[in-house]
Amino acid sequence: MFYRLSGVHHTRYETARRIWPVPADRRMVYLVLALAVAAPLYMSDLYLTSYMLPWLIWSAAALSLTLLMGIAGQLHFGFAAVMAIGAYTSIHLTRAGVPLELALIGAGLVAAGIGCIFGAAALRVKGLYLVMATLAMQYLVDWTIINVPAISGGAQATLSTPSVTFLFVPLRGDTALYYGALLWAVIVTMLVLNIKRTSFGRALVAIRDKDFAAAVIGVNPFKYKLLAFFTSSFLGGVSGAVLAFCYYQAVTPEQFGFNVSIQLVAMVLVGGLGSVIGAYLGAGFVLLMPIVLTNVVAYMAIAGWLSVSSNLLAHIPLMVYGGLIVGFILFEPLGLAKIYDNVRKYFLVWPFRHTQS
Amino acid sequence: MKSFLKGLAGAASIAAIGISGAAKADEPIRFALLQDFTAVYTFVTDEYNQGQRDYIELVNREGGLNGHEIEAIIRDTGNEPQRGIEAYNRARREGAILVDFLSTPVSRAAVNRVLDDEVVMITVLHGRGDASDGTTFPYIFPMMATYWSQATLLLDYIDREQGGLEGKRIAHVYIDSPFGREPVPVMEELAQRKDFELRTYAYPSPGNEQSATWSDVRRFRPDHVILWGAGGGQAVSVREAIRNGIPQENILSVVWMAETDARTIGEERATGIKRFEAVATGTDLPIMQRILEEVIEPGHGAGPSENVGTTYYNIGVASMAVATEAARLALEEHGAPLTGTSLRDGFRMIRDFDAEGMMPPVSFAEDDHQGGGYGRVSRWNGEAWEAVTDWFTAHQDIVWEEIEKDAAGFREGR
Repeated sequence: MFYRLSGVHHTRYETARRIWPVPADRRMVYLVLALAVAAPLYMSDLYLTSYMLPWLIWSAAALSLTLLMGIAGQLHFGFAAVMAIGAYTSIHLTRAGVPLELALIGAGLVAAGIGCIFGAAALRVKGLYLVMATLAMQYLVDWTIINVPAISGGAQATLSTPSVTFLFVPLRGDTALYYGALLWAVIVTMLVLNIKRTSFGRALVAIRDKDFAAAVIGVNPFKYKLLAFFTSSFLGGVSGAVLAFCYYQAVTPEQFGFNVSIQLVAMVLVGGLGSVIGAYLGAGFVLLMPIVLTNVVAYMAIAGWLSVSSNLLAHIPLMVYGGLIVGFILFEPLGLAKIYDNVRKYFLVWPFRHTQS
Repeated sequence: MKSFLKGLAGAASIAAIGISGAAKADEPIRFALLQDFTAVYTFVTDEYNQGQRDYIELVNREGGLNGHEIEAIIRDTGNEPQRGIEAYNRARREGAILVDFLSTPVSRAAVNRVLDDEVVMITVLHGRGDASDGTTFPYIFPMMATYWSQATLLLDYIDREQGGLEGKRIAHVYIDSPFGREPVPVMEELAQRKDFELRTYAYPSPGNEQSATWSDVRRFRPDHVILWGAGGGQAVSVREAIRNGIPQENILSVVWMAETDARTIGEERATGIKRFEAVATGTDLPIMQRILEEVIEPGHGAGPSENVGTTYYNIGVASMAVATEAARLALEEHGAPLTGTSLRDGFRMIRDFDAEGMMPPVSFAEDDHQGGGYGRVSRWNGEAWEAVTDWFTAHQDIVWEEIEKDAAGFREGR
């Protein structure tokens, strides 16, 4: 009914292979995109800068990671380090006078290069052992940034982003920064959606499902594992640079610590491995839920509904948040994306109910 | 669906709350205390924030500032910059004119924002030390001795009270983070001037395990060690130092060493260790007596009463005492409503304010937001921290060289 399929006839391959073959999906994407583009018109600066902006950038980062973890099946627990490399590279490049457009590409390339070096471990090890290798990357990159003042920026270890223009638009003011982030989120989204239906994406899926089986049918695991690390690290590096330029406007080592890597993994897992909409939902959940819960609890306390010690008050959001994660994983182990998918499948045949999936 | 729409409506109504600019005449003065109650700074935040709120309660019970109450907006940031920025943006819309994050990562991420928004940010014993340069950072007040001032002060104490610095071997043992290495440049400068040997030793964060570092320190056979850590790692450092044969008297620490740490080490065992002290400890002070009388005893305290008078509690009290004094001066000069700019001017009008003997007399000026860099050295006597010097300040010329250098870097966008 809502996702009406009757009357939709694909008479050419092109229409059948569109990214969103069902018109309802397509219209919904257009609507969401229109809402996102118009957000500065109807959203207050608080919601624009503190919710939408970080959400978009973290979604792009989660998408980069889900390409590696969800589609190619290579675990990565040091993705914040990849973003850090991108952020620091872009800042140092723009300070050296390189235009931001090129600095972003440079950030991606450096992050991809270093990411590939550590990703090379994936050629030999899998699963938990790969987690260890990527964890090593996290700590090595952290250590290097802190201990090389030329990278971190001296005693204060803070580097402010210089004022720059992107495609002739000065990156200043809430709206410009928001559109910068939106543009990057849209680019990554389209890229990942398209990678999933190319031979490259299918090769990655083959590697994920069984790498020696993939080798038997002619997919070169060496090449595709490295390519997966390269692509994902490139996107992650640029996401880190966008995070620095559009959101933080200053980078410090703590912004890319180990806990951030874990948050990214949580975004991908809670959202749903390998799913594009899952990256958005997961990033929204992991990033925004603690903020929302903190505010809800604080307002409840102000209204007098919760009279507990302030220490407990600060920890209630954490407990609820933890409970929600466990709850969602129990309710739907495949993540928030699967919940959306179930709803969509239900409405696909509504008012009938003979779908099972 | 219905409940979802309700949720949306609820969110929208929350959004509509409190779109207001500066505090109006009859409105309270709003201070935003957006701190880390749940992640890294938990060792200090609970007591510090309790002290801040108890002091605000005291001011309000004594009639407020010219009839204006002070209202604290308190949120947890979990030490995450994005949560801190969100809380800051929200508090600013609710009319906050002063913000205190007590978290270096968060306040660093907020520097550009508070400068643009003209909101006062106090960075008591955290944040950027170079923000002492008030011309470059007009809305940021480190307010107490920066880490650089603490380092020079501790070294000066060794120089004057512990047999001079010349020819000595000093080990700087620090947590491997920007905070840990921050004092190194001023120490190196002083090592050249005073002709002593300085070596630095880092231990990995968070500092639960430091034995490898300390066997290196032992080989150096230092005369004095200076500990630069915070939280749980501090007690480990002291234990390791004692285990490696360094007498307690020669162990000196940055400001982050409190009663809890001494108890963790063992009250007897810790006897003799010294630390930098920014604010007097204990309840034997006029302000603390009034807090006990008017806030704690009637049961209006913000937390457990055994925290009252601890090191971090008193630092919290002092931070709010200075901020309140600034607000009082600003109200006298500019009248209500207070804005970030008038509050800043209020800070800059403070002269020799010592919170009734609780802290060293501080004065701020347009170019000095540190307030002189005063402090003193105190010693654990087995039961409490007792001061062994008067308030003093040392080698501020070296400190200011460093401040100027970093502030110039900030101005040039480095």
